[in-house]
Amino acid sequence: MFKKNKPLTWLTFIMVFLFSAPSFAMDGTQLLKEIDKNLNPESYENYRKLINLEPDGKKKEYVMFTAKKGLDKMVALFLEPPSEKGRSTLRLGENMWLYIPNVGKPIRITSLQSVVGGIFNNSDILNLDYDAEYLVEQVEEKGNEYLLSLKAKAKTVAYDKLKMWADKSKKFPIKIECLTEASMLIKTLYFKEIKDFGGGIVRPSVIETDSPLHKGYKSIMIFAKIQKRDFKDEVFTLTFMPNVESLRKP
Amino acid sequence: MAIQSLLSLLPFLILFISSNAWAQEYKFDISEIEKKPYQLAGYVELRPALFGLDRDASLYKLRFYRRDEGKTLEEFNSKLQLEGSYEKGIARLFIRTNSDLKYTYLGWDHKTSLYEGYLSIKPSSSLTVDLGKKTFKWGKGYAWNPVAFLDRPKDPDDPDLALEGFVAVSADYIKSFSGPLKTFSFTPVLFPVYNDVNDDFGKVHGLNFAGRIYFLFYDTDIDLIGFVGKSRTNRFGADFSRNITSNFEIHGEFAFINNVKNRTIDRSGRIFESTFDAKSYLIGLRYLTKSDTTFILEYYRNGVGFSRVAMKDYFSLIDRGYDSFLATGNDSFLKKAQGVTEGNYGRLNPMKDYLYLRISQKEPFNILYFTPSIIGIMNLNDKSFSIAPEFLYTGITNLEIRLKGSVVGGQKHTEYGEKPNDYRIELRLRYYFDAVKAYEWATKKALK
Repeated sequence: MFKKNKPLTWLTFIMVFLFSAPSFAMDGTQLLKEIDKNLNPESYENYRKLINLEPDGKKKEYVMFTAKKGLDKMVALFLEPPSEKGRSTLRLGENMWLYIPNVGKPIRITSLQSVVGGIFNNSDILNLDYDAEYLVEQVEEKGNEYLLSLKAKAKTVAYDKLKMWADKSKKFPIKIECLTEASMLIKTLYFKEIKDFGGGIVRPSVIETDSPLHKGYKSIMIFAKIQKRDFKDEVFTLTFMPNVESLRKP
Repeated sequence: MAIQSLLSLLPFLILFISSNAWAQEYKFDISEIEKKPYQLAGYVELRPALFGLDRDASLYKLRFYRRDEGKTLEEFNSKLQLEGSYEKGIARLFIRTNSDLKYTYLGWDHKTSLYEGYLSIKPSSSLTVDLGKKTFKWGKGYAWNPVAFLDRPKDPDDPDLALEGFVAVSADYIKSFSGPLKTFSFTPVLFPVYNDVNDDFGKVHGLNFAGRIYFLFYDTDIDLIGFVGKSRTNRFGADFSRNITSNFEIHGEFAFINNVKNRTIDRSGRIFESTFDAKSYLIGLRYLTKSDTTFILEYYRNGVGFSRVAMKDYFSLIDRGYDSFLATGNDSFLKKAQGVTEGNYGRLNPMKDYLYLRISQKEPFNILYFTPSIIGIMNLNDKSFSIAPEFLYTGITNLEIRLKGSVVGGQKHTEYGEKPNDYRIELRLRYYFDAVKAYEWATKKALK
């Protein structure tokens, strides 16, 4: 009897495997999309302050204006300090450019570089939706949290793997570990201080970062004036980079 | 009882104090981001430099044959660069001025130039029209840009320095797409050359036309560039840049220049002119290692450059002229050599094949904001070279401290071997400021 039904048993196994795997991946992807949506509207502008803290208490601050559209378009303009004022960085998918007013032309940069020094690198500053860059490999439920294991979709993505702890009810990230392909920890991001920014945007207003590669150093990003805004696609082009300041409203 | 109550409140008190302390430490004042229609900012720079002279070098003899400056020369340079803008509606006026004050062996000298000054009209995010003096900075190369047809040549020893622009009328039309072609932009340029308008660009001959078409195609930046007119011969070019991985970028440029005129001089002082079509190109890469070391490597073929023989003849003429001057006091050969130096043999990188390598290490030994670099430029035709170590510290807000040295080497009658100095050491202190913010801060203080 069993022998006779062996092909059917195998077929059942194969069918279960084939159909269960995609549906699980869909759930993980859906969850990641929800997390992205809770962090940022699809198109928005905001202001951010970046603080690099040194072990001896010294700090350096940067203020920037950011505009984002869709899944893969983002531009940031430095407003403070005067030494960085007017610099802009543009991201279009995995393409990144830096424009320095004195140099006068945009140059291609890599996502792992840092335009400001400290622990945040370019891809942390020009962070796209996680779903745009990562595939969900696994989702685990751990008490009040989800633990998502993410894998970069392409080699050009700054971190090969992410481990994201997310609040189950609010669906915000709480902590993200950024790892290399060999699972070496590069840095950890901590999402804090949930704030109502108006217009239905409620999200963590502070991201703290530390890194085992820079012991004792810490970088903090504070968000302000996050608001939905629609931009033309042409704003996110290399040619427009010298004009990013014109996007800011008086 | 009271103590017990207080103790029970202690955790809340600690939480309150710590959260308050945090809020104080990391406050983000919205007034910091208020946009004003006007801006005025810039930097002030002090740059003392010491040159170790090579008294046997041809270019030393050419420059100092009537002087004795000893073994070293000191120079003191200072600079004030100001940027101001005013924005109203779709219009924006931008001005950048550069003032240099320096003390050299020739005494004090100062010069103020308008680097850029133009009116920008932006009727939409797809279209910008600029009228006035501006830089274009076309090309993808870091040290050289053979396709920068409308710019002054940059110094590969300090390629990030701002340059003086030219007067032009230009427009940028941008269109974005989804698909493999993500961006298209077109930049037509009207480039006048009249008496007192761009007359240092080329022949005074009315209007010239230039243009650039840019594509972001399959994640690759591609530019097609052209210049036609009577002030300089027609020239066409292309460039590209692409990220291969998250830490590896490649770029290149190609330029074809029609009917280039070249003036050479032989060791007897006879001048020859030749006309030919030149091809210049550049190929380069930028690579970032896991330990934050950045490599920029470029090979440059200068199609309008001099051959090894032509440069040897030029240096031989100087040596002969110098010997003649010492023997008879007659400097006619040296004067002839000086006549072909400016903008010709004396231009930056006058020969044909060059290699550039810059290695910089971000924040070694956990020293935040410290970047040591080493820059090497090699003339592949005569094997002469320049090596420049550089130490940059930006840890103090708005202050940039750079210590840079350079050593040149090469055989007799080679480009770097005949430079007037063997080494150079310079310290650059650059302080950036925002004049509007400083004024507001001072006003607030005064009112208090």
